[in-house]
Amino acid sequence: MLTYIAKRLLHTLPVAFGVSIVCFLLVHDRPLPVQYGLWVLTTLQGDLGVSIATGRPVASELWRALGNTLMLAVLATFIGFVLGCLFGFVAGYFRGSWLDKLASFVSIIGVSVPHYWLGMVLVIIFSVQLNWLPATGAGPGGSADWAWDWVHVRHLILPAVTMSVIPMGIVARTVRALVADILSQEFIVGQRAKGLLDLGVFRHVVKNAAPTALAVMGLQLGYLLGGSILIETVFSWPGTGFLLGQAIFQRDLPLLQGTILVLAMFFVALNLIVDVVQTMLDPRVQRS
Amino acid sequence: MTAANLEAIAKVEKSPGYWSGVLRRIARDPVAMFALCVIVAMILMAVFAPWIAPADPYRGQMLRRLRPIGTAGFPLGTDELGRDMLTRLIYGARLSLMMGVTPVIIAFLIGSAIGITAGYVGGKLNSALMRTIDVFFAFPSVLLAIALSGALGAGIFNGLLSLTIVFIPPIARIAESVTTAVRKIEYVEAARASGASGFTIVRVHVLGNVIGPIFVYATGLISVSLILASGLSFLGLGVKPPEPEWGLMLNTLRNAIYVQPWVAALPGLMIFITSISFNLLSDGLRSAMDLKA
Amino acid sequence: MKIFDLGAIALVASLGFSQPSLAQGVLRIGMTAADIPLTTGQPDQGGEGQRFMGLTVYDALVHWDLTRADRPSTLIPGLAASWTVDASDKTKWTFKIRDGVKFHDGSALTAEAVVWNLDKLLKTDAPQFDQRQASQGRSRIPAVGSYRAVDALTLEIITRAPDATLPYQLAWIGISSPAQWEKVGKSWQEFAKTPSGTGPWKLTGFTPRERAELVPNKDYWDKTRIPKLDRMVLIPLPEPNARVAALRSGQVDWIEAPAPDAVTSLKGAGMQVITNAYPHNWTWHLSSAEGSPWNDVRVRKAANLAVDREGLKELLGGLMIPAEGFMPPGHQWFGKPSFKLKRDLAEARKLLAEAGYGPAKPFQTKILISPSGSGQMQPLPMNEFIQQNLAEAGMKIDFEVVEWNTLINIWRAGARHESSRGATGMNYSYFIQDPFTGFMRHLQCDLQPPAGTNWGHYCNADMDKLFNEVRNTFDAAAQAKVLERIHEKYVDDALFLMVTHDVNARALSPKVRGFVQAQNWFQDFGTITMAP
Repeated sequence: MLTYIAKRLLHTLPVAFGVSIVCFLLVHDRPLPVQYGLWVLTTLQGDLGVSIATGRPVASELWRALGNTLMLAVLATFIGFVLGCLFGFVAGYFRGSWLDKLASFVSIIGVSVPHYWLGMVLVIIFSVQLNWLPATGAGPGGSADWAWDWVHVRHLILPAVTMSVIPMGIVARTVRALVADILSQEFIVGQRAKGLLDLGVFRHVVKNAAPTALAVMGLQLGYLLGGSILIETVFSWPGTGFLLGQAIFQRDLPLLQGTILVLAMFFVALNLIVDVVQTMLDPRVQRS
Repeated sequence: MTAANLEAIAKVEKSPGYWSGVLRRIARDPVAMFALCVIVAMILMAVFAPWIAPADPYRGQMLRRLRPIGTAGFPLGTDELGRDMLTRLIYGARLSLMMGVTPVIIAFLIGSAIGITAGYVGGKLNSALMRTIDVFFAFPSVLLAIALSGALGAGIFNGLLSLTIVFIPPIARIAESVTTAVRKIEYVEAARASGASGFTIVRVHVLGNVIGPIFVYATGLISVSLILASGLSFLGLGVKPPEPEWGLMLNTLRNAIYVQPWVAALPGLMIFITSISFNLLSDGLRSAMDLKA
Repeated sequence: MKIFDLGAIALVASLGFSQPSLAQGVLRIGMTAADIPLTTGQPDQGGEGQRFMGLTVYDALVHWDLTRADRPSTLIPGLAASWTVDASDKTKWTFKIRDGVKFHDGSALTAEAVVWNLDKLLKTDAPQFDQRQASQGRSRIPAVGSYRAVDALTLEIITRAPDATLPYQLAWIGISSPAQWEKVGKSWQEFAKTPSGTGPWKLTGFTPRERAELVPNKDYWDKTRIPKLDRMVLIPLPEPNARVAALRSGQVDWIEAPAPDAVTSLKGAGMQVITNAYPHNWTWHLSSAEGSPWNDVRVRKAANLAVDREGLKELLGGLMIPAEGFMPPGHQWFGKPSFKLKRDLAEARKLLAEAGYGPAKPFQTKILISPSGSGQMQPLPMNEFIQQNLAEAGMKIDFEVVEWNTLINIWRAGARHESSRGATGMNYSYFIQDPFTGFMRHLQCDLQPPAGTNWGHYCNADMDKLFNEVRNTFDAAAQAKVLERIHEKYVDDALFLMVTHDVNARALSPKVRGFVQAQNWFQDFGTITMAP
């Protein structure tokens, strides 16, 4: 196990190196190795430079935004995971029935819907027409005064639900395939034919499907973190995506570079963690 | 999981009747057929837009701006500059489909070439190519597309370029894993041992087995690409005004959600319909090719 | 996750001492800017930055009288109690600094402090020189040549040439506390977190891009202007839609520039939508740099004749005044230009053809625009509409969208600078209050970037002669005559694409009381109270 983790880490290092080069090249016309070296050194010390637009350190801007995006993405992943497992399980368990068709349809909607549009539609329904939930922002005090009370949490609902649709669709499709696969194994088919207790079958399915489902969930969290820009734009949510949008239109290259670098590294690290955790749960699935 | 599934498809020795069987099976799949009809309709709409559309997509009149759905003469209402929504939605299919489909096609060609080469040659070349691909894989796709467009600047060409770069790595990865799997099949090994040239083996044995699965995988990416391409325009990083494009229309109409919310939501519905159709067709193709299913 | 809340303790303390019966509530304002304007004294984010973070926390030597809604505002004494220009040497000005004024940190205002502030903008080798503030403030005061403190409360400024517009220029310059800057370690970055000016409001803390909090300065030198509110909160909401949503859901009590389409529904929800004329114009600033197609007066006139200003008014739900010239219709300097701004497509096409454009050589160029910003109204749909108007005349326009603050920086850098990316025009909205901001800074030959904000590098001997005449005419009536001639030249040469004037629309919740909307870019928030 330890050697696997070490191997996986060694594999991650060159990727991280490559990622940093790509980020560096994004904003430098001339790839000077020396310049790159200096940049890596300062970056490793947590210094991401100073924003051109505001004169504030990029790291402090990013740090605050990252907290907001994490809050949103974790909640969305959680909602998506729970619903996705539910739909996926139902669809796989009752494979071929109308329940399967319904659940599969919901999950395909999840992966096909342009989420920024879904966000807009939810705003139209719940903010414009019904006036139940706020359309934008992170609450009366912004993220600075964030608290887990209703006044603030109601701002989180629409963006989190919108965001959860993508992992919901993907988790549901994965779980459906897993469940169907496990249930088609001969001894289970036999057990079900004999009408042996469904609870045991259920436990068997959960035990076998969980590692993969969890891995998919972890990767989805990474995708949401990196891909939050569209939803954060729709809801003016003060996270990393919003920051990225501003950096682009302010032509603020240090901010752009810092944000992309941190998000990509986060994704690389998450990939590593998911692999290791998945292997610990189920040593058979060592990914190459 | 996807890769394993596709590898399984690739390893199947293709009997002469295999492809006609796939066609037969998919023709019997009503959902896939329906999705195909929708896609064909969208393409026809894009091609024949000037003949179908009732009005000029660029000219509007301020006096009749933001009319609701069902207005006489403007069945789907008008936009913020008084242009006919139906016309702009029809014309929008041109750029939106082009922006969504082209990157996948180009990425399919380049990605397959890289992946098949890496998979067939193997060894150090494989490692070198695939490690480079891994770097791009380390970026979430939305982030990579937006970072590239942001750095390159807005515009149709830059948008296409960024999306193509985003889709090459996943296609190359699948192509590599599928090719590696096929290479190990006995009859390919035998052909190699008999001294047939590498090119012939690739052309006869490998391509025939791997292109299908890679193609199916690529069709599945079209829906992602459509959503991403329109997303770029939605952010102001893709197509520029006044061109009709669904994502851009959604962006400019967003300010009208307090006046004509449902008109404002229409362009997104078009993206949704197109994207779900591509997904359903891709699913249909996959199960038609998978003998197990 | 609040980072800059060093003032929070002071806030809590001050609240503790105030009587509950005096509480006048909290006013939350949704701005069009995407970020909190620079807090060090010379704000960025254009006129809006000055409105909310300049003249609130800081004072200038000269102020605008913001107490009247029924007439254009005039200049009044600010930190300078009085000023005179030497009768024999018209370049020599003497300012008497107001006695007894204290900065928020308790240190006293002196003439030396003002000199220190001018150095912070103009003297690049001064320890307190701040590039960030200098780039905002330097172009505001091109007249200033040298300056010195004669005594503790007397300041002398020598202008480069006689210039009657000096007081208008100085009204832009906020005076920051030298003592506070010393105290926070001689760092403007630290000063930004705990700024200190002499203004009626004190900044108690801010979260970048999200909010800033101001509390009244109870020791303000002008007792009539001590704010009645308990607190004022500034929230950047660059999207018009987000502003409307925030006001409707009660997240803010006041929004700048509501989306015109939402005005009806806002009124229906009981909001107050208020407007007033103010010295503003919304134009395309055209480049005169080499290679610009706008160097041909026929092309400029063609574009001006192609714009459908009545249609635009429809787009804005009536919330605009169609341009008849560079100055608003009826302005004292309007004069009698012979070129009439009307829509005449046939004439526009004819002029273009004369200029050599046609199917064989189509007209095409790039314009820089912003998605939102101070005085920018609703730039995206407005520009797209104009793009459509010009297309009908045979002129193809491409846009490059950049964030407003970035556009301002490009405006300062000039059309030839690489940041302009080859654009031959930019959609800019101008504060046109006085001869300098109204005319000179845009087109004076020696104010080409980087010296000033003549973005398009316009240089014309006749125009410069007129500008010189204005500066040397200290009699108001005679000066106005020259300004009329300048305006006539502006319009007759079609030097800008003149489109519209804003009406300064704001939407306020019914709870906001006592606001007087001055005919000015700046407003006094001191009179406001909040109904419970």
